[in-house]
Amino acid sequence: MPDLLIRNARIIDPKHKGTRTKDLLIQNGRIQKIGKISANKNTKIWDLKGACLSIGWFDIGTQVGDPGLEQNEDLDSVSKAAMAGGFTGIASYPNTKPVVHSKSGVLYLINQTKNNLVEVFPIGAVSHNCEGKDITEMYDMREVGAVAFSDGSHPIQNSGMMMRSLLYVKPFNGVIINQALDYNTAGDGMVHEGTMSTSLGLKGLPSMSEELMVQRDIYLAEYTDSKLHIANISTAGSVRLIRAARKKGIQVTCSVNPANLCLTDEVLEDFDSNYKVMPPLRELSDQKALKKGLSDGVIDVISSNHSPQVAENKNLEFSYADFGMISLETTYSIINEALGEDIEPIGIVEKLAHNPRRILGVEIPKIAVGELANFVAFDPEAEWTFKENDIFSKSKNTPFIGKTMKGRVLGVVNNKKQYWSGWA
Amino acid sequence: MSQLSTRHLIGIKFLKPEDIQLIFETADKFKEVLNRPIKKVPSLRDVTIANLFFENSTRTRISFELAEKRLSADVVNFSASSSSVKKGETLLDTVNNILAMKVDLVVMRHPAPGAHIFLSKHIDANIINAGDGTHEHPTQALLDAYSMREKLGDLRGKKIVIFGDILHSRVALSNIFCLNKLGAKVKVCGPPTLIPKYIHRIGAEVEYDVNKALAWCDVANVLRIQLERQDIKYFPSLREYSRSFGINKKLLDRVDKPIYIMHPGPINRGVELTSDVADSKQSIILQQVENGVAIRMAVLYLLAEKRSHNS
Repeated sequence: MPDLLIRNARIIDPKHKGTRTKDLLIQNGRIQKIGKISANKNTKIWDLKGACLSIGWFDIGTQVGDPGLEQNEDLDSVSKAAMAGGFTGIASYPNTKPVVHSKSGVLYLINQTKNNLVEVFPIGAVSHNCEGKDITEMYDMREVGAVAFSDGSHPIQNSGMMMRSLLYVKPFNGVIINQALDYNTAGDGMVHEGTMSTSLGLKGLPSMSEELMVQRDIYLAEYTDSKLHIANISTAGSVRLIRAARKKGIQVTCSVNPANLCLTDEVLEDFDSNYKVMPPLRELSDQKALKKGLSDGVIDVISSNHSPQVAENKNLEFSYADFGMISLETTYSIINEALGEDIEPIGIVEKLAHNPRRILGVEIPKIAVGELANFVAFDPEAEWTFKENDIFSKSKNTPFIGKTMKGRVLGVVNNKKQYWSGWA
Repeated sequence: MSQLSTRHLIGIKFLKPEDIQLIFETADKFKEVLNRPIKKVPSLRDVTIANLFFENSTRTRISFELAEKRLSADVVNFSASSSSVKKGETLLDTVNNILAMKVDLVVMRHPAPGAHIFLSKHIDANIINAGDGTHEHPTQALLDAYSMREKLGDLRGKKIVIFGDILHSRVALSNIFCLNKLGAKVKVCGPPTLIPKYIHRIGAEVEYDVNKALAWCDVANVLRIQLERQDIKYFPSLREYSRSFGINKKLLDRVDKPIYIMHPGPINRGVELTSDVADSKQSIILQQVENGVAIRMAVLYLLAEKRSHNS
């Protein structure tokens, strides 16, 4: 990597309160100097003109499609999508084909992405084939680099197995990630249960079905005194339950995804399957509670919930279409717009970069001389239009094509590699 | 108003009250035609209609086919089980294949809610919904309201109870939308496991007591109960359903006013309705069937006028 001089960067770093606008010189992938720096002849320059710079973002749950679902996404395409979205690290969900439920599965992902601009941190499966029956060899997987355990998009139904997996990971301070949805009460619902589902004749997913499992998992986390992360919460009730659990000192963290922060079930009127997502789009009151949870710290993480699906799986009757929305490339813009004045850039950076790494025990990069440069440059004020041709993901299942959004990722640096969008 | 405000009949939801009135007035004329010695008119000569049934149907399919033939349209029929379609050709491919043969109107029944909206974004032909899963069945609601109107006149302020499985019923949903647009009051009655939690938000009150429901209403529209098709048991037995929510002569005799009994068919005799009620003078079930043809003729006629190359 040639020398890179980043000019006029407003450094967003929770360690330093207050704003610093500085130049940074990166040589051989490391931060050589921070301050007022003049350029040499051969130095590449990114002039941020006062736009923001923080450590690279980290997604706590991405469907990477590899191995086995490469028609939707592969490691190359997901890495590019992550890079365009400002992420330099992504934790991959294990529900691929085959499922990542052994150390060879974990090693495959690590070896394929080692030293890349975007690093993949595998989440191992809690149960074999994510079937929710028998727990996997989590010690093995941990040893070779699995950062957490989860059955990905399969909520763990069996309370006994959930309890045993929380217990099993305690020796290494592991964390179990679960998406909350009780299948017994959710049935084959596909959208939020409310006025809209009733009027559309679509089977509903009651908020209660999520909250039932959130409450169960909180009890289990309390009983086992182990670490639980509830991924992609979507209801006001879940925020309330988690807030109460945190007050009691139970080790529970949680995340929310951009779709639930910017959309409600009102958009379903047209049966557009791009809005068929899990968790489902809920009501305005839920959205408000989620935003409040973010600003008061109950919700630790904003996750992409990136779920690529090729057109053949999506361009169908609503009932037959698969769940999911791609979102790595739009996560920042969507939340920047949805949260507006509610949250400072520093708050966004904590939810996108620091907290996810802290929860998974992944080393947090530093912005200091001598450190490896792991950055994202972004402009909260820049407007842009999301175009289909710009999409790096293999899949195009997003309702945001053609949408003009405020807030844009300008470029990323990591592992001596860089990507510059050319938009500043 | 002499034209519908919409190109398709996808749901009652998308109709204006004036559209419904226009359909009723047009149906009045066709009903008169149906009672002539020669029941055929040339209105839709040279119009080709495809009846696409991705889900089983006998009476709706026959009713549409008859309506089309009475209007002198050319008719092609397609039926397939939903599973074979899902596994093989997509809906879009199937329909585009048929449309390539120059079809003007599509009448479709499909198990997926919203299938017609999906289709309308991809094809030019006018679309009539003959039932989409648990979403809507607009022509059934129109013929139901039309039959009520025949008996009760203006439906404003009239009271209608829909009995039975509201959770899985497109007929219930379309009826609620239609009756609300016409100013009627609607309640639903059945076991709570078969009533959507938020049904009150779309214009239907809930009553669990059959006696109270019957005492309140002018019309009881009784839906078919199918235990065998439910993947989960929403009630334990047909016997208990019949005893708790079925309509029988004894219950009707307790009501101190005449009420009309309707049913979209086919009836499970002895389950949701006893035979003495189904065959009673209060029952207008066969009139519904007759009106179905007139209503469908009206809808086909009005939509044919809105064909894309006409507009």
